[in-house]
Amino acid sequence: MDKLSKAEKRVFMTGNEAVAWAAVAAGAEIMNGYPITPQNEIMHYWTRLAPKFNKKFLQTEDELSAGFTTIGGVLGGKKVFSATAGPGTTLFQEPLSMAEMMRIPMVLVVQQRGGPSTATVIYSQQEVNMVTFGGNGEGWRIVYSTSSHQELYDYTIKAFDAAWKYRFPAIILGDGYQAKMRESLLMHDPQERGTALVQPEAFLGKPGLPGRDRPADHLRNAFSVEEELFEAAMNIQREYDQMAAEIVEADFQQIDDAKVVIVAHGVVSRAAVAAMNRLRAKGYNVGYFRPVTLRPFPEKQLQAVAEKCSNFLLVESALGQLARLFKEALFNVPVKTFQTIYKPGVGITAEEIVEHIESHS
Amino acid sequence: MRIMEAYVGEYASGKSEVAINRALSLLGGELPVTLVDLDLVEPFYTLRPLKRELEAMGLDVIAWETKDVLGFGETGSLLMPQMRWALQREGHVIIDVGYGVSGSRVFNILEGFAASELKVFAVLNVSRPMTANLEDIVEYLQGFERLDGLVNNTHLGDETDLAVINQGVELGAAVAEVLGIPVIATAVEERFQTQLGSVDRRGNPIRYLKRYMEKAFW
Repeated sequence: MDKLSKAEKRVFMTGNEAVAWAAVAAGAEIMNGYPITPQNEIMHYWTRLAPKFNKKFLQTEDELSAGFTTIGGVLGGKKVFSATAGPGTTLFQEPLSMAEMMRIPMVLVVQQRGGPSTATVIYSQQEVNMVTFGGNGEGWRIVYSTSSHQELYDYTIKAFDAAWKYRFPAIILGDGYQAKMRESLLMHDPQERGTALVQPEAFLGKPGLPGRDRPADHLRNAFSVEEELFEAAMNIQREYDQMAAEIVEADFQQIDDAKVVIVAHGVVSRAAVAAMNRLRAKGYNVGYFRPVTLRPFPEKQLQAVAEKCSNFLLVESALGQLARLFKEALFNVPVKTFQTIYKPGVGITAEEIVEHIESHS
Repeated sequence: MRIMEAYVGEYASGKSEVAINRALSLLGGELPVTLVDLDLVEPFYTLRPLKRELEAMGLDVIAWETKDVLGFGETGSLLMPQMRWALQREGHVIIDVGYGVSGSRVFNILEGFAASELKVFAVLNVSRPMTANLEDIVEYLQGFERLDGLVNNTHLGDETDLAVINQGVELGAAVAEVLGIPVIATAVEERFQTQLGSVDRRGNPIRYLKRYMEKAFW
């Protein structure tokens, strides 16, 4: 068996399992990983699925090694991925930076836990800084922030495609709650739906003599002089910007008549939508905006929202990490009011958001 | 007669919900009821946030409270001393054993387990793709060292309908036959009470579930 069942099926599972199944659906061949809560069941389920779907798994000695072996597998032409969290994401910055510089389509799933350091194993949204701009360099990554099991499934497939199409590292950003909670989703095989997956190809070991039979591949993460790096960096930035226009994603609702717009990402956006609906039912004109891609950030979409309503309530389980991206996107754009609910490492309920807006309006 | 039951099963099969509801259903008699949250693998993603609420309803709950622990999940596996002696308590004892097969290898640390009358029941949700067909379910459940019965708990969360429930009942019957164990009950969310009555289509008693775990904000 090397493919998922043809029949699409609604299933009930945890977010970590959804990722493992989605990786199979995306045609991933190898997972390299090192255990860390709350992503462990991605590895557990991948290793349970591996013998059935002819997949491979390598447990490495740490996350640095997981990252570099993932790069190694990609160079060999395999769809390879890893998953981590918290301090593991810190160690992943080195291989992620290398992947940015060498344009390696590695895929990484991050299930955020509390920070800094070991903190809690449970939940947070404190890895936004790290997944967007955590490495040395310019943050040439693709980051999808999911909010449900269906999205974990769909965006895992999407991340493989985006990584291999544009040759940038791609990150699926979940969190401990999404990892562990249980809900239903539709499992599907994109190929059965007629959606062709982007196929991997080997970077190294291609046939023919480089320079004679084919152009030589220069996969470089080291440059001799400043001018060389400058040229390479500007080329990569240009290609990143071109890609950005094609892949950037945002979700927003009820903006046109909004008096206040709730801004959130990931699982917290579910509380934002629920709060918006409850407040609307009470007669408050409330809208909502959610960046789905945190890198590249949907700046134009947010700016268009700010033109209609620039009273914002930004809500996140961190101390202003989403807010940093938000402020950058709205630089020089007039904003009337900016309020926040920051709860680092703690979940946020619709009730809290409703109460905040009711008591501030 | 006192009831001693442990609920095991595939990760996220619904063990905690079934165990909580079972324990609550035993309240009101002469005997006290103890609910044990026995998860040594992941002691944090459990019924811990519900402990106070369940105690207020009358259960004795043996579970960690946040204030009792340091570095939860990072300081090795902690066994609460009361858990070790849970089988020695008076009254009914219901044990929620977390984390699948690996989590179930915990029974040997319960004092008096071998000589006890503890029944071990597997909770099964066939909407979970790892345990969705007869072969996979049997293979998985054979990984448990001991099973005395099966509880059907097939559902799709809010999307559950009668067809989903009945699919679980039929597959559960087939699994029980292969494993040579009885189906103890079929667990169904309480909103189906008017449609289903007291037994499922195969005559197994139905246990109606109220959902508590959705309130567990870890």
